[in-house]
Order: sequence, then structure tokens, then C-alpha cells
Amino acid sequence: MAYSNKVIDHYENPRNVGSLSKEDPNVGTGLVGAPECGDVMKLQVKVNPATGVIDDAKFKTFGCGSAIASSSLATEWLKGKTVDEALAIKNTDIVSELSLPPVKIHCSVLAEDAIKAAISDYKKKQAATGKPAEKAAQPTA
Amino acid sequence: MQACRACGAGASLDAHFCPQCRTILPLVRRQTDYFTFFGLPRKLRIDAVDLEQRLRTLSRQFHPDYFYNAATAERRASLERSSYLNDAYRTLKSPVARVEYLLSLEGRAANGPEEASKQVPPALLEEVFALNEELDEVREMRASGAPAEEWRSRLERARQPIDAKREEHEQQLQELSARWDERGESDVLDALRDRVLERNYINNLLAGIERELSQ
Repeated sequence: MAYSNKVIDHYENPRNVGSLSKEDPNVGTGLVGAPECGDVMKLQVKVNPATGVIDDAKFKTFGCGSAIASSSLATEWLKGKTVDEALAIKNTDIVSELSLPPVKIHCSVLAEDAIKAAISDYKKKQAATGKPAEKAAQPTA
Repeated sequence: MQACRACGAGASLDAHFCPQCRTILPLVRRQTDYFTFFGLPRKLRIDAVDLEQRLRTLSRQFHPDYFYNAATAERRASLERSSYLNDAYRTLKSPVARVEYLLSLEGRAANGPEEASKQVPPALLEEVFALNEELDEVREMRASGAPAEEWRSRLERARQPIDAKREEHEQQLQELSARWDERGESDVLDALRDRVLERNYINNLLAGIERELSQ
């Protein structure tokens, strides 16, 4: 099976490899895996609390070229998007951008899962840290 | 029941030969499965010696050499049964392939990729991720010319928890297999499926370490 040029490009020059501090309340971490192939993918977003825009995104994936390319592309797309816009990213968008063959579609699903997991982690953290402030703000809102 | 095309007598679906005229019956795959084909119950603990004896007996009975002069349909049936027999043996002989096969028969094959990541406990993913990072660091150590003893001992340390996990895993598989055989409860199948999925991670990690050590 031949990889598309875009997959090879992301594989050879992955964007945004690395990690962000898990302790940072503005960072959401998603760790997902594909048991059938044994891949594991970590994707993190750092959200600007004032604007709700994703300032930074990092990933680290242990898996095949398509899984690496899918997560690399996802981090590129995430930067500059709001949290809600990020949740709208669909695995099919990744499939068409990277021209993934049917046997590699699960890699794009993994990337979508990772985005959702990272955002949900961020929201959980915000809810936990933001509780006192929200409560105080409620009467006026 | 199926009807023998040669004499019209009725034969049970798991019969290989017509009970009346002994003609070999055509193989209808969707009406049988590997356990039935071997005359075994749908259970996970299989005696390897017994399985091999069954294989020998059946492969003698189906051997295409005996059907050299037979009618086309019978020649075909002998070929089909021989090849199905080999597939069945390969699958049932391996304890893991056997579990996977049972899961697919019972409609419990690992779900589609959409649900896959939810089937792995987060703690295991964390562990797998950390170990992969460790492997990466060892590769970097090697690339930068670190002495062999140094990275080898690090690899050996890294593999200890995985080895332990694999042993624990084997034990769980055996216990669950025994429970399935005794009670046939469907929640045992779910637990078995989770173990099978986790196994890929453990095997991948071990393979990664072996690769490093052998280079």
C-alpha cells in the first residue's frame, strides 16, 4: 500500500511533536489507543481562557505513519480554532486531506477521538477550577 | 438436516459423510463452524493431543487422493473439507486465535475502531505510552553512542513490568476460559475480549524491546 505524499510529509516532518504541562489548568490532554493495531496517541491543547481559542497544540503518537500523520495534521488544524470549532473536526476531514485508504481510516478516527478527549479533559479542568468563580458570578448572570 | 445428493438420505448438518451411502457431503460453510467440524463443544480448553488425533483421522478421511476417481462434486467436497480442516486446526490449536474465533462466533468480536479506544483501560494506555517513551529514549541513547551495557540494562528494566503483565494476562485468560467452559456466561466473553485487545499492546511493546535488543 502506498502512502500519499501528504502522509509522508507529515510522517517525515511531523508538526507540533512534544508535550504541554498536564498540570496547567488551560491544557487539555487526550490519550487514546487503537487496540487492534496497538497504536497509542497523546494529543494536548492549550486554550487561551480569555478568548476560548486554542493557542497551542502538541502530540506524540506511537504507531504507523498514518496515525502519526493524522495526529500531526490535527494539531495543525487545532491551532487558532475555538474549542467548539475543534469539536467540529471530523475524522472524514482528515481522511480526505491525507487521502487515507480504507484500511487506515481507523487512524483518523483515533485522531478525532484524541481531539474530543483533550477538549473534554480541558472542560473538566475548567469546571473544577472555575467552580467558585462561576458560583460567585451566578447571581448577576 | 441436509439431503445426500447421491442417495437422498438425510444427514445431520455436522456430518462429513452420508450415514447411509458413505458419500462425502459438500461443505456448507455457513452451516458449520470449526468446533462443530471437529466434533467438539464450543469450549476454550482443548486438549492438544486429542485435537491432533481428530485432525489426523479427518484428514485421512477427506484426503483428495481417495477421491481421485470420484464424481466432480465429491472431489470438490474432499478438497473443500481438507482445506476447511486445515483452517480449523490452525485456529483451534492456538489458544489466542481460539478465543478470537469464539468471540466472532458469539458476535463479540472486537467492535469497530470507533469504539476501540474506549475498550482499553486508561491506566494501561498510560503505561503503554510511558514505556514507548522510554524505548524512544533508549534509541536516542544508542544513537548518541552510549555504551551497550547502559542501554541494555535500561531495556531490561523496562521489560520487567511488561513481562509481569503478560504473565498476569495469561493467567487471566486461563481463568476466564475455564469460567466460560463451565458456565458459558456472556459477560465472560466481554472480559475475554478486553484481554484479547490488551494483548496487542503488550505484544507490541515486547516486540519493540526485542527488536532493540537484537540489533
